[in-house]
Amino acid sequence: MCSCWLVLAFCCLGQLCADQSLKPQLAASQLATNNPTLTTVALEKPFCMFDSSLSPNKSYIIYLYAMKESASAISSLVTDNSSKPLDSTFQQTSGGQLGPYKAALFKVPNCASPPKLADVGDVNKVSDVLKQYLFRVGDDGTCLYDPNFLGVCNPPLAPDTTYRFKYVLLDTTEGIMKGQTLWSDPIKTRRVKLPLKIDTWPGRRSGDMIVITSILSVLVFLLLAGFLASVSSAVMGSDNSSAKTRCMSQTIQQSEPRPQLSSE
Amino acid sequence: MAKSDDGIHILQGLLVFGNVVIGMCGIALTAECIFFVSDPHGLYPLLEATENDDIYAAAWIGIFVGFALFALSILGIIGVIKSNRTLLLVYIILMLITYAFEMASCITAATHRDFLTPNLFLKQMLERYNKLETVNNNDKWMTEGVTKTWDKLMLQNQCCGVRGPSDWQEYTSAFRSTHSDADFPWPRNCCVLDARGSPVNLDGCKLGVPGYYNSNGCYDAISGPMNTHAWGVAWFGFAILCWTFCVLLGTMFYWSRIEY
Repeated sequence: MCSCWLVLAFCCLGQLCADQSLKPQLAASQLATNNPTLTTVALEKPFCMFDSSLSPNKSYIIYLYAMKESASAISSLVTDNSSKPLDSTFQQTSGGQLGPYKAALFKVPNCASPPKLADVGDVNKVSDVLKQYLFRVGDDGTCLYDPNFLGVCNPPLAPDTTYRFKYVLLDTTEGIMKGQTLWSDPIKTRRVKLPLKIDTWPGRRSGDMIVITSILSVLVFLLLAGFLASVSSAVMGSDNSSAKTRCMSQTIQQSEPRPQLSSE
Repeated sequence: MAKSDDGIHILQGLLVFGNVVIGMCGIALTAECIFFVSDPHGLYPLLEATENDDIYAAAWIGIFVGFALFALSILGIIGVIKSNRTLLLVYIILMLITYAFEMASCITAATHRDFLTPNLFLKQMLERYNKLETVNNNDKWMTEGVTKTWDKLMLQNQCCGVRGPSDWQEYTSAFRSTHSDADFPWPRNCCVLDARGSPVNLDGCKLGVPGYYNSNGCYDAISGPMNTHAWGVAWFGFAILCWTFCVLLGTMFYWSRIEY
């Protein structure tokens, strides 16, 4: 049921796209539950956002630009004076601090047949669906330190920072920008807490422990009291019985001569 | 005279029956505590690393107390049948000592169970799992124990973290300092693994796509066996002690009424 809902939402999104203000969106939260993470953000690819600008005989690609929100005060331009998109990299803009940097390029997503999100359940199709549906900014942890890397570097983002993203449509033959979306809503990466701050105090004692301790203490006290009572009664009893045996031996001695007297 | 003879016989019968029950419970206690000490779920390294493994100490005491109860119950039966004052006095004194030890075991198990909270295991997991720089051999031993235990737990119970995989995202950890968030939002064992031990779909696992990662926490798999252990030792011991209390009081009364 959830998957049908997803497909329906997807179709509606495609149809209503032309009427909404176009911005890059986070990938569907039912699909990518771990988003945004500490250093990555998974964005939905721009389905049907540039359809009005596409003409059939030309080839297009899409650029994704990322910048920190604080950089919008410095510069948020993605093209130069002749409408050519900027070629800024992560290193040049200090990770998006001085302005937008190009994070990715990919071909225009197919508006007519978007990937079916329900296919995510199928192990064979899931890679394709994920690749066609979303793009993960910050995925590549090694390109920054690899001197031989020639492509567009997409290094991990900074934690606890707000970023904004923009898609730009580029005509490959002329090399000029044909369309762009608005800057996305601010998206903040996660912030971490220190494990030192975790409080491991257990709080109040449980009822089990209180019952066991109190009842056992009372029982031990009663046992010791009973032991003392029985020892003392045994000691006093032995005193009494030794006194009784003395009395009894005396009375036996006294009673023995009588029969002799009475017989005489 | 006949009536008090009957009374004494009834008391003797009851005391013998009571001692038989104590003997059997003693054996059962020993067996139960041996089972717990043998750690069938392999959770001992987690407790050892918290330096709070007193529920195991309580189980060890339980082994010896159970055996002592069995031996003393035989002594008690012989003493009651022979109505021998010396034997019964020895029996009472040794039983009181055993009673004290078993009481210590029950209270220890119940008290230390309270310390085993989710936060304790969370903090330990974050600080020790996959920690590479260990200060001394003890630290290294504990760290290896914690890492192996968590790997096994996550694999066997299909779970991740203490409350869920978000534990790895919300807190920084020893694991996070060596594995980047982009490649390892959580350990590989949190992913659904195929028969060869590699993730079914790595991107799906990293993104948190349902079905490709373990979304539930491991706390239930940890606390279940530990609760059974602690409550088994504490409450069974408590029940034995209540019964032993009655038998001991009866024996003391019988002892005080025997004439030399």
